[in-house]
Amino acid sequence: IYPEVLILCIHSCTSPIGLISEILNKSMRVSFFAIVFLVCMPLALCTTKRTLVLLENLSFRESFSQYFKLLRDNGFELSFRTADDSTLTLTKYGEFLYDNLIIFAPSVREFGGKLNTPAITDFVDNGGNLLVAGSSSIGEAVRELAAECGVEYDEEKTALIDHLRYDAKDTGRHTLVIADKRNLLDAPIIIGDNAKASLKPLLYRGVAMTADSANPLVLPILHADSTAYSFNPERSIDDYPNAVGQAALLIAGLQARNNARAVFVGSLEFFSDEFFGAAVEPADAAASGIAASELSGNRDLALSLSQWVFKQRGVLRFRDVKHSLAGESAPPEFYTVKDRVQYSITIDIYKPETGRWEPFQGSDVQLEFVRIDPFVRTNLRSDGKGTFRAEFQLPDVYGVYQFKVDYTRVGLTGLHSSTLVSVRPLRHTQYDRFIVAAYPYYVSAFSMMAGLYLFSFVFLYHRDEAAEHKKKE
Amino acid sequence: MSNRKEVAAASQSAAIQDSFGTIVRRFINEYWSGTSRSLKIIDAYMFYILITGVVQFAYCCLVGTFPFNSFLSGFISCVASFVLASCLRMQVNPQNKSEFSGITKERAFADFLFASLLLHLVVINFIG
Repeated sequence: IYPEVLILCIHSCTSPIGLISEILNKSMRVSFFAIVFLVCMPLALCTTKRTLVLLENLSFRESFSQYFKLLRDNGFELSFRTADDSTLTLTKYGEFLYDNLIIFAPSVREFGGKLNTPAITDFVDNGGNLLVAGSSSIGEAVRELAAECGVEYDEEKTALIDHLRYDAKDTGRHTLVIADKRNLLDAPIIIGDNAKASLKPLLYRGVAMTADSANPLVLPILHADSTAYSFNPERSIDDYPNAVGQAALLIAGLQARNNARAVFVGSLEFFSDEFFGAAVEPADAAASGIAASELSGNRDLALSLSQWVFKQRGVLRFRDVKHSLAGESAPPEFYTVKDRVQYSITIDIYKPETGRWEPFQGSDVQLEFVRIDPFVRTNLRSDGKGTFRAEFQLPDVYGVYQFKVDYTRVGLTGLHSSTLVSVRPLRHTQYDRFIVAAYPYYVSAFSMMAGLYLFSFVFLYHRDEAAEHKKKE
Repeated sequence: MSNRKEVAAASQSAAIQDSFGTIVRRFINEYWSGTSRSLKIIDAYMFYILITGVVQFAYCCLVGTFPFNSFLSGFISCVASFVLASCLRMQVNPQNKSEFSGITKERAFADFLFASLLLHLVVINFIG
């Protein structure tokens, strides 16, 4: 994935040491390169921050300067282009040039260069993250891209309208909507740790989205109030609106099964400097139920969303999967039915503040022992330092099993660990030698023999009474 | 055998007055006085085998046939010992001398012992 960095490292290391490596034997050379690779690994994590930003025109760099400064302060390398730039490309020589893609160009007719909907979905399929903003002048290119990801933007020229919860600065169409924190998805990993409790009201002007309710991967991060609807504000309403009430989404997210993340926001102005610094004044405070605020919560939510969508928050990894018989440390070649086994796995979570992996504090990680169907499903106990352990008895059925840890939670990357083991039946020498239930039969067989022995003596040596009578006579 | 025929004839002739109890008492008296000691010893041995077999079978009915081979082995040991003992009784009984003319008591007993040894060998092999 990071070939250029690796190639650079190896080139720089090997040229002065070329002569020396010829003297070293082959196995040492392999381990040397392994060390070089490991040294490069932490560097690799830093390069998940190459971001391509597509803008409608380059003056957006000024009108969204605060948001881009926020990203730069968090370590992202931004490359600005216009969306219809003819030199646009995401890949070079088969490798991706960027890890993240921001599209702040809702009205673009067609993406320039080599970019199009299939190219961008290919980018996401290979792990790239996506942040897309829409607006009332949304074009077909962005609508098509969002539809590929399961989110449908409403048509061009429509806007989210809310006659009860609009800001005082609205121009009369009631499209400058105030969104409250109670409409946020309850996922602190995505929206910020204290957002559900203390996020200030948000300003939003743009188009609404709907998500297919059958799609299990789409997350409705911010939905509209029940008083909102999405329609063309210039036309009188003669049609049922596409998005009404709480089904209208303002911010939708998606975490694909390969852990690539995408966030679709219906309002480009949500990220603008103007909205970051604006005060929130509901035009009708009593009807809206929202208190005025000196500063909108746009900046805080934009930061949390960006950290989530660009894989800084909520990223898990596992290492050190160990299994063995209870009490031992090394795994055996195979298990036997009804053995007691112990299993441990270490799970880390990435902390963007320190840039390091720290032990994951989860309380609901489960282990499954599966042979086609799970035979055992048990909770893993955490020791507080990120190691999760379980001990259980193997089932009485032999076969080839897997220790499976399948941990998927909203906002966290999916954790899938599977370790194959074989469980053998009892050898013929491992069964009970004498079965307790059969003791009466053992006793009877031996008593028959004893009876025969006694009987033979008695039968052979008894005094016949006829002979006795004869003797007496 | 002739004694038993007499008993049957007597009970048939006095059918209406004799009750079941009388028949049983007469049978026991005739048996006690009419059979020789060696036959009584064999009968006692057979009774012991019978009791063992019945107890084993009752145990199997109660507890189930889990080690079925063990049950079969133990039960067959009882049944076959009973059969061999009854064969010995038949051959040793002086009333059957006409049917077993060439077989002496010693020969009968030797056959019985040999067969029992084979039986116990098989039983121990099968009992698991």
